[in-house]
Amino acid sequence: MAFKRYIMGLFKDEDQVVSAIKELKTSSYKFIRVNMPFPSHKIMEVLNLKKSKVGWFTLGGGIFGLLAGFALAIYTATEWSLMVSGKPIVAYVPFVVVSFEATILCAVFGNILGLITQTRLPSYKGLKYYDPRCSGQYFGILATCATEQEDELKDFMQRQGGEVRIFDSME
Amino acid sequence: MAENTTKNKKSQKTPALWVFIALVIIGLATFIYGVTSPHPERAWHAYLINFLLWSGIAQGAVLFSTVMHMTKARWSGPLSGLSESFAAFFPLSFILFLVLFFGKTHIFPWLHEDLHGKEIWLNIPFLFTRDCIGLLILYILGFVYLYHALQLKLDPSQPQGKFRQSIVNARQRNPRNTEEIKNRMTVWGGLYILAFAVVLCLIGYDLVMSMDPHWISTLFGAYHFVKSFYVGLGALIILAAVIRLKQGNASALNASHFHDIGKLFFAFCLLWADFFYVQLMVIYYGNISEETHYVIARTMLAPWNTLAWTVFIVCFIGPFIILLNKRVKTKPILMVIICSAVIIGIWFEHLLLLGPALNHEARSIPLSISDGLISLGFLGLLAIAVKYFLHVFPEIIWAKESS
Repeated sequence: MAFKRYIMGLFKDEDQVVSAIKELKTSSYKFIRVNMPFPSHKIMEVLNLKKSKVGWFTLGGGIFGLLAGFALAIYTATEWSLMVSGKPIVAYVPFVVVSFEATILCAVFGNILGLITQTRLPSYKGLKYYDPRCSGQYFGILATCATEQEDELKDFMQRQGGEVRIFDSME
Repeated sequence: MAENTTKNKKSQKTPALWVFIALVIIGLATFIYGVTSPHPERAWHAYLINFLLWSGIAQGAVLFSTVMHMTKARWSGPLSGLSESFAAFFPLSFILFLVLFFGKTHIFPWLHEDLHGKEIWLNIPFLFTRDCIGLLILYILGFVYLYHALQLKLDPSQPQGKFRQSIVNARQRNPRNTEEIKNRMTVWGGLYILAFAVVLCLIGYDLVMSMDPHWISTLFGAYHFVKSFYVGLGALIILAAVIRLKQGNASALNASHFHDIGKLFFAFCLLWADFFYVQLMVIYYGNISEETHYVIARTMLAPWNTLAWTVFIVCFIGPFIILLNKRVKTKPILMVIICSAVIIGIWFEHLLLLGPALNHEARSIPLSISDGLISLGFLGLLAIAVKYFLHVFPEIIWAKESS
């Protein structure tokens, strides 16, 4: 049975992380993720992540809010009609205020919903194969490989200038 | 740097300059022809619209630089210096305003009306005196701000012209440290911002709102200066995009600059619509016939209602939907198209505000080819002014920081 283990390289320097990721991606080892103590543009660039979908949730929420705001105002106006100085009961001009506020509110809700679903929250178990030093001063690159390559991968991490920590998959 | 300068000198002799000169000549000829024709008022109306639009663009663009300095913004980079080049239109704008005096009988429909006590404010000598003084103050403040801003940017070793020499001399005669010049810029820039708000309010009231002398909207002045900043930003984006397209990576303008100023443009698109709506809302709720007739004539009755919707779609709905996209904002060529559309839209918005009061009983929108030609003349004037400024002070394109 191929006993697969996860290997984390812990780096103190941002640039070392960037070059390590670059080489990892071209090698035969499998890159899994990187943990950062702070958001780094350089690393984000190398990771070449897919574009976040959160914006679409915000847009959808906004459009929903716009329509819902008008609908709410029209519904209340027709249900409880208030005659004011010959103005139409369904008066669109002042309803813009209601729908504008509803747009913002629902766009914010959409944004939060998008954020939660896209980051797969809530998560109660915590991250697997995580080193708490990654919220301190270390960047952690997690990678895996076939069992017989393990020593090579360890060597690779050390050559790039990192410390190595090995997780057993049972952990 | 020296290479760039020679390159810039050469680019001065490109056909572009001749095109602009031709535009000015065409515009001037059309205007003179219009003024001597049996209907001189048409030419004067086009002149007034263009004076308001192009002066607003120049004033609004310079405002960008002062605002960036006051807020200690660093994101604008070379854009902030670039916006200062629009100050070259200030003297022309002032002269154009003085020329307006000769058309006074054609552009002020209230001249021979009974104004019910408003003649204390609305009379020709007082109107021209206060607007002249206002513009003069605004432009002088702008130039003093610029004088200090340029002292920081000029490279004394570059070839000298008269303007450059005087600024470099001033720096050497009275050597101040950078900090002190920046403090002075803060003072003059702040005064410019205040003067911008006050003077553009005044222009808005005197030259736009007064056309319908019995109608009032207290927010009209603010609406006018927000609009000017909006088109000013649009013109700045166009200038930056043209430089970017012409010089490529040498221009120090990159995609993130366009993204950032695109966002600001987007914000002012919203703010313009907001000021429009806020005025409309108050008039709608008040429902007083003295106030509503102005809105009804422009948004509900033919022929103006179609123009009103066109303006609203071109200046707000269209840009709003398009500019939600991030990629569009980083593409100079697309931004040129959008900003040009907005500027043309605001031209029509001026026509919409002035038209019904100046052309009573109009069956169709009073628009002819001569209006377009006169507008092109003004465009040529602004372009020549900006080109001249960039020729005399080529450093501002490369200036990394203005604050």
